[in-house]
Amino acid sequence: MTLSTQNTNINSIVRNISIERSLFWITAALMLVAILYPASMAIKAAFFENDIFTLAGFERILQLDTIASDIWNTLIFSAGSMFGATIIGVSLAWVNARTDVPGVKAIEVFCVIPFFMSAFVGAIAWRLLFVPNAGMISMFLTKHGFPEFLLPDIYSLGSMIFIQSVFYSPFMYLYAVASFRQMDPTLEEIARIHGAGNWNTLRKITLSVNGPALLSGMILVFVMSVGTLEVPMALGSAGGNYVLSTRIWALMNNMPQDVTAASALGMIAILIAAIGIIIQRKLLGNRKFTTVTGKGYKSKKISLGRWKWIVFALAITYIIFAVIMPIVTLILVALQKFWTGSFSMQFFTWANFNTVLFEYDVTARAIKNSLFACSVAATISVIFALILSQIRSRNAEAFMGLLVLLPIVIPGAVFGMMVLFAFVKTPIYNTIFIIIFAYVIAYFYLAYRTIYSVRLSIHPELEQSARIHGASWFQSTRRILTPLLKPGIVSAWLMSFILFIREFSSVMFLYRHGTEVMPVVFFMLMERHSARLAAFMVIQTAILLLIMIVYQRFTSKNATGAAF
Amino acid sequence: MSAFLKVENLSKRYGDHQAIDNISFEIEEKKLFVLLGPSGCGKTTTLRCIGGLEKPDTGIISIRDETISNNEEQIFVAAEKRGMGMVAQSYAIWPHMSVFENIAFPLRMSKFDKNLLASRVEEALDMVQLKGLGTRNATDLSGGQQQRVALARAIVGRPKLLLFDEPLSNLDAKLREQMRYLLKEIQTEIGITAVYVTHDQSEAMGLGDELIVMNNGRIEQSDQAKSLYNNPKTKFVGEFIGTANMIEGRITQKESNSCKITLNNKNSEQIIKARLSRNTDSEQGMLLFRPEWISIQKGKKDNQENSIDGVVRTYQYLGDRSELIIETEFADIKASVTDDEDYIVGDKVTIKINENKAIVF
Repeated sequence: MTLSTQNTNINSIVRNISIERSLFWITAALMLVAILYPASMAIKAAFFENDIFTLAGFERILQLDTIASDIWNTLIFSAGSMFGATIIGVSLAWVNARTDVPGVKAIEVFCVIPFFMSAFVGAIAWRLLFVPNAGMISMFLTKHGFPEFLLPDIYSLGSMIFIQSVFYSPFMYLYAVASFRQMDPTLEEIARIHGAGNWNTLRKITLSVNGPALLSGMILVFVMSVGTLEVPMALGSAGGNYVLSTRIWALMNNMPQDVTAASALGMIAILIAAIGIIIQRKLLGNRKFTTVTGKGYKSKKISLGRWKWIVFALAITYIIFAVIMPIVTLILVALQKFWTGSFSMQFFTWANFNTVLFEYDVTARAIKNSLFACSVAATISVIFALILSQIRSRNAEAFMGLLVLLPIVIPGAVFGMMVLFAFVKTPIYNTIFIIIFAYVIAYFYLAYRTIYSVRLSIHPELEQSARIHGASWFQSTRRILTPLLKPGIVSAWLMSFILFIREFSSVMFLYRHGTEVMPVVFFMLMERHSARLAAFMVIQTAILLLIMIVYQRFTSKNATGAAF
Repeated sequence: MSAFLKVENLSKRYGDHQAIDNISFEIEEKKLFVLLGPSGCGKTTTLRCIGGLEKPDTGIISIRDETISNNEEQIFVAAEKRGMGMVAQSYAIWPHMSVFENIAFPLRMSKFDKNLLASRVEEALDMVQLKGLGTRNATDLSGGQQQRVALARAIVGRPKLLLFDEPLSNLDAKLREQMRYLLKEIQTEIGITAVYVTHDQSEAMGLGDELIVMNNGRIEQSDQAKSLYNNPKTKFVGEFIGTANMIEGRITQKESNSCKITLNNKNSEQIIKARLSRNTDSEQGMLLFRPEWISIQKGKKDNQENSIDGVVRTYQYLGDRSELIIETEFADIKASVTDDEDYIVGDKVTIKINENKAIVF
């Protein structure tokens, strides 16, 4: 009797494993097609005109006077932002993870906000502060006799790099802080005992041991910077500093449209990103340092002594620059009837909020569109991630490694263009589902990694023993697996939602009249109505901060680190 | 000989937990000194204070009369300036460096003559029996090899003092024993002074020229291995070092060095003569004796001196000795004997406790 029951159980286990397996490969294949099909359409667009192979697109972009400066600007902007974000992010991570700086908890929370607020919002806020003749700070300074020529040029390449660095540094921060926390602190202590001072310990041990993780973060910032439209559109275009992404956008959206040339430029952007990745791989070699964590001592923080308050002041300066100043600026501007460059009680009004929320149909629609598209996309991402994290075989894992890597290496703006090409002749083209598609594919790796890392921590025996004790596949999935995965699911959903809401570069290619999402409307309002733009940005920031608070309540710090 | 390392009135507190409670000790040059105790007894914190990884709350630490830590005079020499070497429990091999670079690190930090550096590293590699492995990636080595690299790294710069923080506890039993011999050999060969932290008493007794047993942040006893085993000064030491039988009783007759203790039971009582520990004032006493401090006679022999009747409960023949558990009216007594007698479970026996060895606390 017992024997036969066990037999049926084992049979059903085998059967269900094959169900899981086929579900996995079907979903994985769908995902692969969803990436490769748009990519192939972009390649086709770059090399074919009217179905005839041609290099005309490349010829036309080479004839542009601006091509050299566009590529040069892209390289300088991306590399500069990469180093800037690394310096800021790694310093903050080191300070928070390894030193006894006061108020670590509070600093930590603020350190990740800028990335979620989005660099576009940040750049607009900074523009409102420093725009010549109408910026809040620049006007204040010139009024008090500060020489005008000493004011920073907010539209310059340098300013673009600065803003991009500030708002992408949280990305580096998350990479670095997770890596620093996983490191066995004895590695540093032994170095100190054997004669290395603070500086040598930091340079030769801490940074070197964490090198691979930091390098991975750096290359992602580089690729994201190559593909971003945020800062280049908010600041670069106005100052005449075009980069490849803004040039591609212009070729696609300005008359006369040149799809072939835009696609050819897209190929060049991908090439730059690929070269970055190749350099990273070369530097990395085969190294992936596994740091053996010794049991015993809890990581002892480095005592900064009298430097403590200087470091604290620097961290606060970052928070002021990246979080407080932008938000305060936007709120002040949003509360003005129209923006004159300085806040005055005379023009105080709540009307802008009323307008963007209820009266102006584009903004009201964009809020609804954003909430709808982001929720649907986050849900789809989580479901796919759940399916794809169930199988643990070498093949499956290698395949997934490739699958999640592919969208990361495609610069955001180019990706938006690819998705456009893929759907331009389908009914989806005019709907919001094209935006949902882009969200899911572009950020799928995040949901996947979050759920996968939780999945890995659930020992298969937990499910197996449920099955041995008579639970069906469905019952064990529902009663054992789902509750255990719940923190992962919640954090993956919220994290995806946050990233989707702020996504700018790809949706700029994909919206149509009626399917505008919030960042698109930012762009539409950018040159028209600063006060309404600010009010709208305040609303998005409020939504994001609200979700971030929910997120932090629901998940531990570790899950954040694992996601990236 | 004057003290090489001197620790005076050292204290360290973490929040509510007094990790080290006012301890003092001295170490002679070229000796291996063991800090032994259960986890949380303060031994590692003491070691870290000596190394400069932890700042004590009070106390003075000096090497060769040179103060390296003194709270009252606000002296705290940084870890990197103390000229020590250390081997950690987790090996702490830097994964981004080759074996050679790991070992060369202390020399590079002290700006060692570059022409002599390679030969010094090779010499250290040779000492830990890893000759020829210098070019290997450090993390490709086995745990035992990594620990040898850590040892080579700690000695290559000829430090004033060598610190060991449970260096063998991550190794398996066989490797641990091998490493123990190697470690002792190297330490005596290069004549270095060492402080060694462990919770493993056989490791401690095998390695230590001198041992300190710590408990709750205090020093229980500081002595050589033999004295710790045979003349424990406190109940804790007697129990922590080796195996001990302990039976409670009433001290009925005290002399300067010996006493009689009466073991009570519902039905009977038995008087045992034993040595008297120095700090025993109260009436209540605790008789402590090791398994091999007794002899066993078969059969029941009533009212013999210093004897207890019992029944064999378990018997294991281990080649060089036999181990038994004997059930008596007062307690189950562990015995270890080297006679060639065969015992059967259920045998009636009489055990005689050696009055010159057993101690009453």
